[in-house]
Amino acid sequence: MVRASIIISLGSLIVATTVVARAQTAPIPDPRNLSGAWEPMRVGRGTDPRLAPPPAGPILPKPPYADAWKARRAAQEEATRKGEPLATGGSQCIPYGMPTMMSIATYPMEILQTPGQVTIIGEAFTEVRRVYLDRPQMKIEEVPPGYYGRSVGRWEADTLVIDTIGIATNVNGYQGLPHSNQLRITERIRLMAADVLHDQITLDDPVVLEKPVTYTLAYRRLPKYEMVEFVCDNNREYVDDKGVVRMKLPEK
Amino acid sequence: MRLVLANRPRVCRTIGALTLLLLSSTALAHHSFAMFDSVNKATITGTVTRFEWTNPHVFIEIDVAGENGAVKHWSVELGSPSILLRGGWKFSDVKPGDKVTTIVNPLRDGRPGGMLYRITLADGRMLGNGGPPPPDPATR
Repeated sequence: MVRASIIISLGSLIVATTVVARAQTAPIPDPRNLSGAWEPMRVGRGTDPRLAPPPAGPILPKPPYADAWKARRAAQEEATRKGEPLATGGSQCIPYGMPTMMSIATYPMEILQTPGQVTIIGEAFTEVRRVYLDRPQMKIEEVPPGYYGRSVGRWEADTLVIDTIGIATNVNGYQGLPHSNQLRITERIRLMAADVLHDQITLDDPVVLEKPVTYTLAYRRLPKYEMVEFVCDNNREYVDDKGVVRMKLPEK
Repeated sequence: MRLVLANRPRVCRTIGALTLLLLSSTALAHHSFAMFDSVNKATITGTVTRFEWTNPHVFIEIDVAGENGAVKHWSVELGSPSILLRGGWKFSDVKPGDKVTTIVNPLRDGRPGGMLYRITLADGRMLGNGGPPPPDPATR
């Protein structure tokens, strides 16, 4: 009886492994079709190494920025340890903007492809970015600074390459990194399997960074997912006079 | 209200830590978990006075009966509708007047508020705060 169970279990394991391996190596029906909903992929032990994103590159800010960045991170860690988290834009319902909006906890994003345009909608805070295909990029000085800047894209084989400029300096950066108005974001978006997408993001800011920073985000397809409304109209978190986020309780 | 202290076997602690990690990384895109007590939990049993299926967070307002007719009011914060929907919730799962039991990580500043760990609904179903309902916190 026990032996039979072991054999059945082993058989199931072999079938399951084969199915997974086949699914992950199956040809991608249309490598340029990115449309649909995607969620940040959990990566850990057991993730197919072909689908796991490569480790992020080092962050090397120039000295004056490095000191301020490290001091800010240390202050945040200390405040968190004390149970008095410092306010962030997100805690006040201010959208994250680029590049942070490409990875907000487990919130899905939706990619829509229409002629000449790719639209990316982040579910958290309903953030929207529009990527204009095969159009020339403007000069940085010509783009009004904002949360999403101006994005143009082109296909290089099966990789969608997006160039984004015009991110306002008050928009929170990757890992809390500051940036100048010279920030340029280059993304290389590619299907790694039918249901797995990678976005390799490179931040190039010659004013703030010693060298560009590159990291890769991975997503898993959410078939038939219906995006959820996110209007931040009931924010009970407020900032006290010390800059600490606190939860407002109803008056009774 | 019952405080549950964290003196428990290592396995339970690990499960608790993992659940907390999941909670803090999934439910809280909006703000840090740090304002809540990550170690101790409180069990709040009472009557729902309001259920707000809103962003950036869902809230359950609960009146808890005390001694001599006194009522203490608790605000329980949850993840966002998106996070909860993917964890099996529906916007109609809680209604005013429902008798519910919630286990929360209470506010560290001592005020009557907390972040949901697990709820037992009026119909007996259990739900977590985004993921599957987590295990019982071990008691001392």
